[in-house]
Amino acid sequence: MINLADALLAFVLLSVLLSLSSNRMMGLVNIMTLQGIVVSLVPLFLEHHQDIETSSLLMLQIMLLVKGMLIPGMLYMAIKKVSMRREVEPIIGYHASLFAGLVMIIASAFITDRLHLNLPGNHALLMITAITTLAAGLFLMMARRKAITQVIGYLMMENGIYLIGTALAKETHTMYVVEFGVLLDLLVGIMVMGIVINNISRTFDDVDTSHLAQLKD
Amino acid sequence: MLELVFLIPIFTGIMAAFLPAKLGRGILVISALLHLQMTVLGWMQIAKPSMDKYFSATPEGLLVLLVTSVVFLLISIYSVGYMQESETPKEPLFLGCMLFFLATMSMVALSDHIIVLWVAVEATTLVSAPLIFLHRTKEALEATWKYVLICSVGIALALLGSFFITLSMDLGGVHVPLRFSSLIEVAAQLDPIWLKAGFIFIVIGYGTKMGLAPMHTWLPDAHSEAPSPASALLSGALLNCAFLGIYKAHSLLYAANLGSYSSNILIIFGLISMVIAAIFIVNQTGYKRMLAYSSIENMGIIAFGIGIGGIATYGAFLHLIHHSLIKSSLFLSTGNILLGYGSKLINKTGNMARLLPKTFIAYFAGFAGISGFPPFGIFISELLIIFGAFKSGRHVSIIIFILCLAVIFAGGARIVMRMSFKEHDGEILVKEKMLRLFPSYALLLTSGVLCIWMPDSLYQTIISAISTIGGGING
Repeated sequence: MINLADALLAFVLLSVLLSLSSNRMMGLVNIMTLQGIVVSLVPLFLEHHQDIETSSLLMLQIMLLVKGMLIPGMLYMAIKKVSMRREVEPIIGYHASLFAGLVMIIASAFITDRLHLNLPGNHALLMITAITTLAAGLFLMMARRKAITQVIGYLMMENGIYLIGTALAKETHTMYVVEFGVLLDLLVGIMVMGIVINNISRTFDDVDTSHLAQLKD
Repeated sequence: MLELVFLIPIFTGIMAAFLPAKLGRGILVISALLHLQMTVLGWMQIAKPSMDKYFSATPEGLLVLLVTSVVFLLISIYSVGYMQESETPKEPLFLGCMLFFLATMSMVALSDHIIVLWVAVEATTLVSAPLIFLHRTKEALEATWKYVLICSVGIALALLGSFFITLSMDLGGVHVPLRFSSLIEVAAQLDPIWLKAGFIFIVIGYGTKMGLAPMHTWLPDAHSEAPSPASALLSGALLNCAFLGIYKAHSLLYAANLGSYSSNILIIFGLISMVIAAIFIVNQTGYKRMLAYSSIENMGIIAFGIGIGGIATYGAFLHLIHHSLIKSSLFLSTGNILLGYGSKLINKTGNMARLLPKTFIAYFAGFAGISGFPPFGIFISELLIIFGAFKSGRHVSIIIFILCLAVIFAGGARIVMRMSFKEHDGEILVKEKMLRLFPSYALLLTSGVLCIWMPDSLYQTIISAISTIGGGING
């Protein structure tokens, strides 16, 4: 079972690297869909989350539904509606981003090592993956020009935080009402961002956030 | 059933969003009255939270709730007048979002559970975004985008901080519900390192929302682009709610004997905010932006006062109340100015003393109040904070604090003088109306009265709110 969890985590890491180097919008959304599904599956295979109750199973399904279907669906719709040009338009190039991703992995391995965490089940890889995903999400938000890539960066960051949450919290502290609230917020957040993106594209005929630099002091 | 305080606005908000705008305006004011009534019931401890796993009526929460409720009532009256005279697209949506905004803010004020608090703060971002985007201009769009993105990222970091606090529970071997009130009781057993890390992330996260520099970048844009009732609400109510999250985390650290650590962080962030506000206020070109930077300054003062401790915490809570009252009044006045001159630029205004005399009085008095002149309460609160800082011997901080106050006053006064007395040869587009003046005056009057006469229950509530972090009127 441990191996399966590690395999999933390795998959998440790969998806992070892929998303940093991907130059097509649709490809990026596909990668994020996969990442969302894998991330929501991870708790299922963790040792300290073994005793699965009905409620947690329900939670898992809702998680899968939101991360795997609703959010990607909304992203697809946003891309289609604004019929944007397909490229991602990086501020920092693909190769540099990929390299930054690798540096992030090494840095998070270093941080995890230094933290001397008593991680439940000793999943060092879980913490490494979580920190890398979080950092790469932030990086993506800053290093890409399109509004929709920033939303994707935000999603990736949320994935990372969710992983940290599962890495750190024992089963006793995860309250499903609360997780549900978090998910709902995330969902509504993406919806609001989607509406804003839509309006950006209508106003500027593009989703380039470099247009959004009128307000300054 | 104190939960009604946010359930009522949710319900009426849905109604307002689907009913015609004229009906919606009535609903807005009526729900504000109902909200105030529920809040007063909560103060008299007649209404108690029934879902006490997630919500509780703490003194600091009740304080923020009352301020929010009073400010919202007056803003809603103003909104009715404002909506009649400015052309607003999708007005039902605006009214609905105003009520949702009230609901989520009340939820923040009452929530005790760490994650419920997080959910509520994130929800305030999402329901207030449409308010900023009301006028659908390019600038409004940019402000909304910045607001949603920066605040969401900030709040995500606050969630990370909350997870770290959970971890400190696990490492400390504590098994209590994830609530501030139960955590404070066992604070000494929590793992200190993760508690500290959690506090930093929570300050960064909720500090983004509160407008502490250097995470404040969304604030001037959102405050200047939102329609004036929404700006007043953002500045007068939302910032307090975000502060509440930081305050609760601070009292947790204080209970865990890490008070000096969290105090220092708050002092540093407070001073940075004041310095940044002082730098940007001097050459400001927009009068709403100027007020936005003043909000950053005042949030800095509150954080500073809480960090200093002792009598300064009392000052900080007084400052919170008076800042909400005066700043809301100022933003409501800018609504009249904007309607009158049709521009947000200071250059396009002038001679307000003759052209908009009643607005001028409210605006000028508000500016005097926010700069710390008596008879407005900020005079007392800033004085108490300075006393507290002297008592605890933080001389460098006091010098920076007073210097910033002076620079901000000088920069602001230049702008206000220019707007009030400079020659202006344009026409006034929309005349002043009583409905749009009375709320500003009422807010200023409340601040003035509170400066001279403080009701005993308010005083007791502030005292019991600050006693959890060792503050007091004598300390």
